[in-house]
Amino acid sequence: MLIMILVLTAFPLSIDISQFDLEKFYFSIIVVSLLMTSFLATEGMFEEDFEDGSLEQEFLVEQDFYKIVLSKIFVYVCFIGVPIALIGAIFSFANGVAIGSFMNVFFILSLSNLLLFNVFAFGNALSINKGAMLGVLTTLPLALPVIILLGTAIRSIQYEDGFLEISSLMIGLGFLISAIMPLIISTALKTHID
Amino acid sequence: MLIVGWVWGLLFAPQDAIQGNSYRIIFLHVPAVIYAELIYFFMALCALMHLVWRVKLAAYLIKSAAPIGAMITFVGLFSGSVWGIPTWGTWWQWDARITSTLILFIMYLGILTLHGSFSNLEKSDRLMSILVVIGVVNIPIIKKSVDWWSTLHQPASISVSGGSSIDPSMLYPLLISIIGLGFTLISLGILSSRSYILGREKNKKWVSEYV
Repeated sequence: MLIMILVLTAFPLSIDISQFDLEKFYFSIIVVSLLMTSFLATEGMFEEDFEDGSLEQEFLVEQDFYKIVLSKIFVYVCFIGVPIALIGAIFSFANGVAIGSFMNVFFILSLSNLLLFNVFAFGNALSINKGAMLGVLTTLPLALPVIILLGTAIRSIQYEDGFLEISSLMIGLGFLISAIMPLIISTALKTHID
Repeated sequence: MLIVGWVWGLLFAPQDAIQGNSYRIIFLHVPAVIYAELIYFFMALCALMHLVWRVKLAAYLIKSAAPIGAMITFVGLFSGSVWGIPTWGTWWQWDARITSTLILFIMYLGILTLHGSFSNLEKSDRLMSILVVIGVVNIPIIKKSVDWWSTLHQPASISVSGGSSIDPSMLYPLLISIIGLGFTLISLGILSSRSYILGREKNKKWVSEYV
């Protein structure tokens, strides 16, 4: 969260531009900092459990990681994703977004975080104890569709056009990915344990 | 066949009315980007086979195809950049098609790095297959990027269903180049998978009998 605040505060300070110009592309900074913060937050999601044998123990008891992955992602989204989204929404509000759009921005950023956390959890499950570089290489391309959706949603908020359609699409995708991704992640984790 | 296509395209095809001779890089660029996506699609099919039916050979084929895919994607990006200098006035643009192709290149690198990260090769095969299957979501994005966004890159000039907007005098050498590069890549794939399979199975009896 601190990193998110740092990036969002440092950017306008680091370049000398007018408020008018800043408002035009400040959302891009929010998207990039959201992406970066989400990645950093999930970097060690399964690493510690893998190292201390908790994952193996869980596998011996349950024979499945679906529930543990689902609950881990849920906890991460609630305790890290939602606060990050709130910070993003506050900063966008301070940089020219209409007061009425505040909730829309917060909602879209939270949904994007849900999608990003699923994607990055997948990367973490693949690379588990092999370092962040591998995680970046494997999952950043998968974050591309989320960034595209987020960009489209933000444009729909800025131009007040098509927000309902894009947010419905994102909600649908959020449900779908939240149901399927833990299954894929648990398969990857099982491969590590096997 | 590739040589015929290139010689025809580079020496005998007419000049373009607007771009002059610089358009001739099309005979390398277009086939390269077509195969950059097709190779990934092939890898995704193999990955599915490996995950569902546990076909070992499918994983070997992915591992052999990935460096070829990375190489051809790089060729596509590089030739696009070279073409961009005289036509767009810049060698790089953060354009939807170019950026998504760069992402495809990163995906290839990610797959190769992931496979090389684990000493247990069976584990690497499975993890790599999972990543390849999930990564296929980007292929339609790359393909449709020129239609979905307003980009500097022109829309597709040839399509399987809708014909072509290229003059036949340029289209025929281009088609021959595409088919020729396809055969070249298949040959490369066979050679690469052959040496990879022999390396992976080196302790098996059939390998010592074969070599």
